[in-house]
Amino acid sequence: MPLVNNKVGDDSTVGKDKALADGEALVDSLIKVVACYRHLASCVGSCTDSLQLRDELRQTREKAQKLAVAICHHLTSHLRNKSLPEEQRKEMELLWVAFSSSLELLHVDMCKVFKMGDIFSLADTGTLVQTGLQGGSSEVAARALSIPDLNQAQPPALPAGLESQEQSTLEQEISQIDHMIDDMEMKVNVLRWMVEPHGPQYADPLSSTDSASLALLSMDEERPGHQPLCQRSHIFVLLLLFAVVFVAATLSVCIFLFS
Amino acid sequence: MMMIEQREETSKTETERRAKQSILRSFSSGEDIIAWLADRFQIDTQEARSFGSMLVALGYIYPLQDHKRLLIKPDASLYRFQTPYFWPTQQWPVEDTDYAIYLAKRNIRKKGILELHEQEQYNRLHKWMNHKWDFIVMQAKEQYRAAKERKKPDRVVFECQERAYWVVHRPPPGTVSAMDYGLERRIDPNADETKTPDFYERIMIFTQQSIMRPRVKSSVSIGALVKYCTTYNSHDPFLSKCLPSNPWLTDDVTFWTLNRLNVEVPSKMRVERWTFSFGELLSDPRGRDDFRLFLKKEFSSENLAFWESCEDLKWGTAATMREKAEQIYKTFLARGAPRWINIDGKTMEITVNGLRHPHRYVLDAAQTHIYMLMKKDKYGRYIKSPVFKDTMKKAICPEEHKFSDAQLEQNAKNRRPSLSPIILRQQELEQRAKMAANAPVDITQLCRFTTPVPHLAVYSGITDSPSLAFPAPSPACPSPISVALDSTSACERRLEADERKPEALGPVRGPVSKSRMALSLRRLLKRGCTPATMFASLSPKCHSAAGTSSRIQPISPDEPSQAPPRRIGNFFQIKVDIPPECRIYPIESEDEDEANRSASRGGVGTKEIICPWESLTPHNGTG
Repeated sequence: MPLVNNKVGDDSTVGKDKALADGEALVDSLIKVVACYRHLASCVGSCTDSLQLRDELRQTREKAQKLAVAICHHLTSHLRNKSLPEEQRKEMELLWVAFSSSLELLHVDMCKVFKMGDIFSLADTGTLVQTGLQGGSSEVAARALSIPDLNQAQPPALPAGLESQEQSTLEQEISQIDHMIDDMEMKVNVLRWMVEPHGPQYADPLSSTDSASLALLSMDEERPGHQPLCQRSHIFVLLLLFAVVFVAATLSVCIFLFS
Repeated sequence: MMMIEQREETSKTETERRAKQSILRSFSSGEDIIAWLADRFQIDTQEARSFGSMLVALGYIYPLQDHKRLLIKPDASLYRFQTPYFWPTQQWPVEDTDYAIYLAKRNIRKKGILELHEQEQYNRLHKWMNHKWDFIVMQAKEQYRAAKERKKPDRVVFECQERAYWVVHRPPPGTVSAMDYGLERRIDPNADETKTPDFYERIMIFTQQSIMRPRVKSSVSIGALVKYCTTYNSHDPFLSKCLPSNPWLTDDVTFWTLNRLNVEVPSKMRVERWTFSFGELLSDPRGRDDFRLFLKKEFSSENLAFWESCEDLKWGTAATMREKAEQIYKTFLARGAPRWINIDGKTMEITVNGLRHPHRYVLDAAQTHIYMLMKKDKYGRYIKSPVFKDTMKKAICPEEHKFSDAQLEQNAKNRRPSLSPIILRQQELEQRAKMAANAPVDITQLCRFTTPVPHLAVYSGITDSPSLAFPAPSPACPSPISVALDSTSACERRLEADERKPEALGPVRGPVSKSRMALSLRRLLKRGCTPATMFASLSPKCHSAAGTSSRIQPISPDEPSQAPPRRIGNFFQIKVDIPPECRIYPIESEDEDEANRSASRGGVGTKEIICPWESLTPHNGTG
C-alpha cells in the first residue's frame, strides 16, 4: 500500500483535490477493513474459531494499522495547514470524523478480541461455543486485504508460546491505537458539532445486490422453520386450482358436445 | 448488585462452556435445555425453567422463532447459543454508534421498511449523531458487503445473532429484557473509594446529620409499621392475590379496566381502602367523586372545591399561578364570595397577606385548615352516610381468573399498549373543565349571611360603617371551634334560611350582582380584606357605639365597637344570637389593639394595600 506523500502547503487546487481524493480513498479502505475485522471478531470463541481465524485477524489488524497511520499523517498535516480553504477544510473534517470513528470501532474490536482470546484459548477446542456457523471466514479476510484469494499455509499445530506472544503483540497494538487517538485529539481541533454530513439519512439499497437473494434473505431470517410448511401449502393450493380448472374444462366440453 | 451480577455472569460463562461441551448440536429445543439444566445443577424443573429464561433474557441463548419474547419455552421451540462476541459478561458498553450501524444495515436489507420503534430510534440517532452519519452509512454498507462474502447459511446465522443481541440491549416495546442499565453511572458504588480527606469529611457530615435527626421510640414507630402492614396486607398485589388476576403475571388487563380512575362502579377492595384514612379517600379520584357527592348533599362542597383549587395552584404551571390565586380568592376567600369557605381569622389574615405576593404555597395554611376540617368532621360523617353505604353495596368483587397455559400464551400474544398518557391527561382536563362549568351553586350562597344584599349600601358608595354591617354568617360559620360545637344546628339553621329565602333572594340577586360589578369591586375588597383596616376605618368613628355592640360573640368577648347602622337581621325570625354588625373573623384582642394603635398613628398616611391586586390608592375612607 503506497504511502501518500505529505503535500504540506501545496497551493494548487489540483494538488488539493488529489489530497482530498487520496484521503477519501484511504478512509474508505479503512472503513472496509474495520467492517471485515468486525465480522471476523464476531467469530472468536465460536466453533469456527481456529488458528486460521486468528491469523486472518492478525493480518487484517496489521493492514488496518498501516492505513490508520497513513491517514493520521495525511489528515493531520492537512488540517494543521492554516491556509486551507473552507470547503477543503470541511471535507477534511468530515474525513477526520470518519477516521476517528473507525479508529474507535477498531479499538473496541481489538479489545474484545484480546479479552476473548484470553478466555477461549485455542488449545482446548472443546470449550468453543457451538453457534451454528459452519464456514470459514477466509473470504471476508480476503476482502479486507483486498486480495482475491487467501492462501492458507498454516501449520496445523500451534506451539504454546506463539499464542501468548500473539496476545502480547495485540496488547501493544491496542495501546498504540490508544496513543494515536489521543495524539489526534491533541494535535487537531475538530469541532464535531460543526461537521455536517453529505450523505442521505437512509442508506440506499445497494444497486449491485441481487434483489432475489435479498428477498430470500429476509424471508429466511423471519421464518427459518416454516419453509417446508409453506411450500407444502402452496403445492396444495396449486393442485386445487388445477383440479377446478380441469373440472370447468370438462364441463364446458360436455356442454358443447351435448348442445 | 453489580458484583452479584458479575459473579452470576461468570458462573453463567462457566455454565455456558460446559453446556457447549455436552450439547454438540448448534441448537437445541427448549425442553432439552431445561432438562439439561435441571440435571446438571440438581434443581427442579420450575427453577431450571426460570434459570433458562434468565439466560435467554440476558442474551446467552436466543430463540429462533418468536425472537422478541425473551424466555424459554418448555416445548420443541429451538434455541441457539450466542457467539461470545455478543455476550454481556464483560459488560462492554453498548454503543449507540453500533446500534445506528445495525439499523442502517437492516434498513438496507429490508429496503427501507423498518419497524416502528426501529424507525423512531433511527431518526433519533440521526439527530444526535449527525456528524458521524456519513461514516455510519458507509460502515453499514461495508459491513453488509463483507457479510455477503460469507456463505449463505453463515450469513443468516450471523444476522440472527446480531438481531438477538439488539433485542436484548434495545428491547422493542413489549419485550422484557434483563439488562438494567445501571452501568452508565459515573461512579461505581461498589468500587473501593480512596480515603482522601474529602471522603472523611463527607462521612463526618453524614454522621452529624444522622445524630441531629429527630427520633421516635421504636415501640411507637414499629407499632405504626405493624399497623400499616396489617391494614394494607390484603391490598398489596405482591403479598396477596390480585382480583381478578395480576396483569403483570397473566397479561390480562381486566384488573386495570376495573380499577380505572373514573370507573362507575368501584371494586370492593377499593372502597375498603377509602375507609383507611382520609388521605386515601382523597387521593383516589373515584373516592373523591363520592365524597364530593356527599358534600353536595350536605351543602358544604366548597371545602373540597377549595382544597382542589389549592392543589391545582400548588401543582400548576408558574405562568397561571397569579390568575389562579386571584380566581381562588374571588371565589372562596373574599367577603361575599360565591363559595365562601369557613376559616378562622388568623389564617385568613395570613393568607390575605400572603396573597400580596402570590406564590405556590400561599394558600397552604388555609388549605391545611380546610383539610383538617374535612377530615375531622366530614370524613367521619361520610363513612356513616347513606352515600357511602350505597357505594359499598354496589361495589363489585370480581372473580378470580383461572388461565391455562395455552390461554396465558394467547394473552401474551395479544398484548397491546395502553392509552397514551397524553390522551389521559387531555381527558382529565376535559373532565375538569366540565365540572368547573357545572360548578354547583353552593347553598351557602343563598344564606342570608353571605348575601350581598345587605351591602348594597357599600356598593352605592357610602364609605363608612355599613361595611361593618356585614352580618357575618357568624353562628352559622364563625370559627372552627363553634362549627365543631354546633355544626348540626348551624346547618339546620342554614337550611331553614334557604327554604324561606330563595324566592325573596332570587330576583334580588340578579340586580345585586350587576351592581356589584358596576361599582368598584375594589371598594368591596378594600372594605372586606383586612380586619385591621376595618378596625382602622372604624375606630375613629365608632368608639361611641361601643356600648351597643354588646351582643355575645361566642368567640371573642373583647369586641371593639362598631356602629350598627342597620340590622340586616331577622327577617325570618331565626333565633340566632348574632349582632348584626358582627364581623366575620373574630380577632384576638392584641391584634385589635395593634391595629388601632397603628391606625391612630398612621392616620391618613397609612396606605395599606388591602387587596393585593389593587394599586396603591389613598384610602380616604379610613379617614
